[in-house]
Amino acid sequence: MMKTKRMMYITMLVAISILFHLIESMIPLPLPIPGFKLGIANIVGLVALYMYDAKIMFTVNFMRVILASLMRGILFAPGFWLSLCGVLLSSGAAIIAKRCTPMTIFGVSCASAAFHVIGQVIAVTILYSQFLMGALLPILLLLSIPTGLFTGFMAKQVLNRIQIER
Amino acid sequence: MNKADKIFIVLVLLSALLMYVPLFIQDQQNKDKQKEVVVHYQNEEILRVDLLQNHTYQVQATLGEVQIEVKDGAVRVEKETSPYHLCSIQGWVKDTGRPIICLPNELVVQIEAQEPTDDGVDTVIQ
Repeated sequence: MMKTKRMMYITMLVAISILFHLIESMIPLPLPIPGFKLGIANIVGLVALYMYDAKIMFTVNFMRVILASLMRGILFAPGFWLSLCGVLLSSGAAIIAKRCTPMTIFGVSCASAAFHVIGQVIAVTILYSQFLMGALLPILLLLSIPTGLFTGFMAKQVLNRIQIER
Repeated sequence: MNKADKIFIVLVLLSALLMYVPLFIQDQQNKDKQKEVVVHYQNEEILRVDLLQNHTYQVQATLGEVQIEVKDGAVRVEKETSPYHLCSIQGWVKDTGRPIICLPNELVVQIEAQEPTDDGVDTVIQ
């Protein structure tokens, strides 16, 4: 019984994060910086990490990228590889930051945002086989701190209000 | 927010600033060299032109025609077909290492510094 309940909650988390991902990809940000996003889908990943464990967070994020790309019809297109590479690195960074450092949810969120940027730059470098985003990486890293703090704050608010038996 | 958070944030900010140093040095080194605009489409080079010649070029990309304008030592994507027009919003670019990337069109516009060649190979003829 508990197992079914747990699975249902995780499915709900995946569904919410897919929704956030889709909504976010529909809103264009009129900024002259390619690749800049708020990362609201990462809120759900952080909630999963703090409510359950690293494995669940990884599953939620991975499923989110695959299914959202499938729904947008860009599976295995360049945009999909960017998302995948970013999400793998950011999940890894968040898990390591939570386990090995005394950082709170804000620091974990910032680490996750920063490594998402690094993952995307690596993906672009591999896809276009040269170091293209050189000048873009620092500015994206600078911007990842406020967005990381924002997602951390949102995740904390959610965790304060949510009550789920693990 | 505790101390570890702040240390991490400061570290990220510092590393971001440090990354500007090699770019700045490279920019200084490339100052006097001849620069070229290089356009890649799906990993293939489709256009290579002088940055100092004012002209508007048109290339065919995934979603349609893309107009690339070169003017006064800077380059921009003037018109293109893409969902959010991110690459035309990016505007003028005039230094190396800051490419214009249009993912929906699979197009990359970049400025490259030309190494001074003295082996007699002519790169002007196209």
